[in-house]
Amino acid sequence: MKRYSALLALVFVVFAAPRIVHAECHLRSGDKIVLYGTTDDPDVFIWDSRFRLRDYAGGSFDEMNALLPHAVLARPGTRAVVESCVSNFVQSKYFTNTDDAIGVRILNGPLNGQRGWVLGSSTRGIRPR
Amino acid sequence: MTAFLAIAVVVAVQGAFATRASLAQTFARQSDIVQAQLALEEMRRLQIDAESSVRGYSLTRDPFYVQQYANVEAQFDQHAATVRATLSGAGLTGAVRSLDDYIALQRNWRTKIADPLLAHPGKDVTLIDKRNKAFTDFENRSVQLIRTSLADANDRLARTAQEQVNVNAYSRAFWLIVLGLLAILLNGFRSRLVTELEEERTTTETLQRAFRSEAAPLPNCEVGSAYLAASSHLAVGGDVFDVYRLSDTLALIFIADVSGKGVDAAVLTAFIKFTIRGIALRRRDPGAMLAEFNTAFSQTVENPYLFVSMFVGVLDTETLALRYASAGHDSAFIRRSSGMMQQLAVTGPVLGVMEEPFETKTLHLEDMDTLVLATDGLTEARDRSGKQLQEAGAMRLIGASNAQPQLLADEVVAKVRTLGGNELRDDLAVLAIRVHEAEADDEEV
Repeated sequence: MKRYSALLALVFVVFAAPRIVHAECHLRSGDKIVLYGTTDDPDVFIWDSRFRLRDYAGGSFDEMNALLPHAVLARPGTRAVVESCVSNFVQSKYFTNTDDAIGVRILNGPLNGQRGWVLGSSTRGIRPR
Repeated sequence: MTAFLAIAVVVAVQGAFATRASLAQTFARQSDIVQAQLALEEMRRLQIDAESSVRGYSLTRDPFYVQQYANVEAQFDQHAATVRATLSGAGLTGAVRSLDDYIALQRNWRTKIADPLLAHPGKDVTLIDKRNKAFTDFENRSVQLIRTSLADANDRLARTAQEQVNVNAYSRAFWLIVLGLLAILLNGFRSRLVTELEEERTTTETLQRAFRSEAAPLPNCEVGSAYLAASSHLAVGGDVFDVYRLSDTLALIFIADVSGKGVDAAVLTAFIKFTIRGIALRRRDPGAMLAEFNTAFSQTVENPYLFVSMFVGVLDTETLALRYASAGHDSAFIRRSSGMMQQLAVTGPVLGVMEEPFETKTLHLEDMDTLVLATDGLTEARDRSGKQLQEAGAMRLIGASNAQPQLLADEVVAKVRTLGGNELRDDLAVLAIRVHEAEADDEEV
């Protein structure tokens, strides 16, 4: 009986848990995307850490100067592939809505091959789920 | 009911004006907010134009972009002042703080991004681009906060306007329904009251017509009479007179005025008329008639507040001798053929008050003398200033009237009506009897 219980727990950990963690993510690992900010300002920051991404989105302008060396600026239309997704990880300082942190690897342009983290709202899926 | 209708109209009109004023104020504030929203979007557009101008100059070094940059920055400041005034006026302090942040960021961008790029357009712009992007991100956050604040304010105003309309409409409708129901109830009550009064009046008048006032033809006499009911909104009174032949030469003449009004008084007139007639068939002395009637009245009528003033006369149409007694009835006059007026004295108290003897007096009438009897509607008639006619005024009025009895009675009634401006507070009965000397029989001649 103990053996079956342990087996069931293992199956749950292997298959169900990751799906729960990423249940509300808009993207999944392997998705091809294009980076695009807003219409007014389509450039996209790529951060070296998802925590700095979160600090930048939720921080003040004064904190921005210290964070900026840890970001590179990608031109709109830069292609990338999703490597990970953390749902609702980024909380704005002023707004109640949250955003996903997307781990990406750049597939073209001057930043080709570079890895980093972007906001979920700064991505456009090439292959919609 | 008119008051209820007037109040209902006032409530409706006042409600309409209140709603209009409230909505006008709300729409004015909404208009201000929409203007602020437009100005904010214009600021956002100018901000992008400024960034584009700096980029354009950095890439082309065309001085056109420098001038364009200067223009859009000047316009940006103008719109910022407009939006700030609107937000302050609307009491949106949070939005004002966000606008101040936005303006500060834009000025910061000018000194740290725009001015260095315009001064050194060929410089490596990698770091500047990153900072430019950061400025834009933070400015976007401030603008988004202001947008949200303005949209919320707009929604609140819309809700407030709707609530104001609802409250006004429901409250006015409630009061109009209440007032309308009250008016309907009052109108129903009033109609019922009027109907009841009319029915009572009709009954009373029917009774009076049946019981009152007969003036039988008498030998050697001309008889005239008139009756004027009080104004229609008042109940009819208990005036009664009678001219009744007791024998070939004797006639019973009486006039009475019952205190009170309405059906009770009218019924009492019947009692008076037939009781006096009955007594007069047995007795010829007017004082004795009144005394007997007084006893009968006190034993019959249980209402202690009812009493009667009465003049009773027995006229001998041959000798023209008038024997009379007066129970508190002072409106009895003789108009002599010469035109001189004489008031007949009261010979006892009003009936129904106390057991007292009534004196009988005898008066010899001359040819063409007229006995004029009236109820207190004559002496208590008031002119428009409220002054009563009294006995003296009544005698003047009778003396100035036509000598023919019927014309005299009609004229007296008409003058009393005119005196009060067609408003008569009490019923008025007038009985006039002009006597003639008996002509000698042909056989005797």
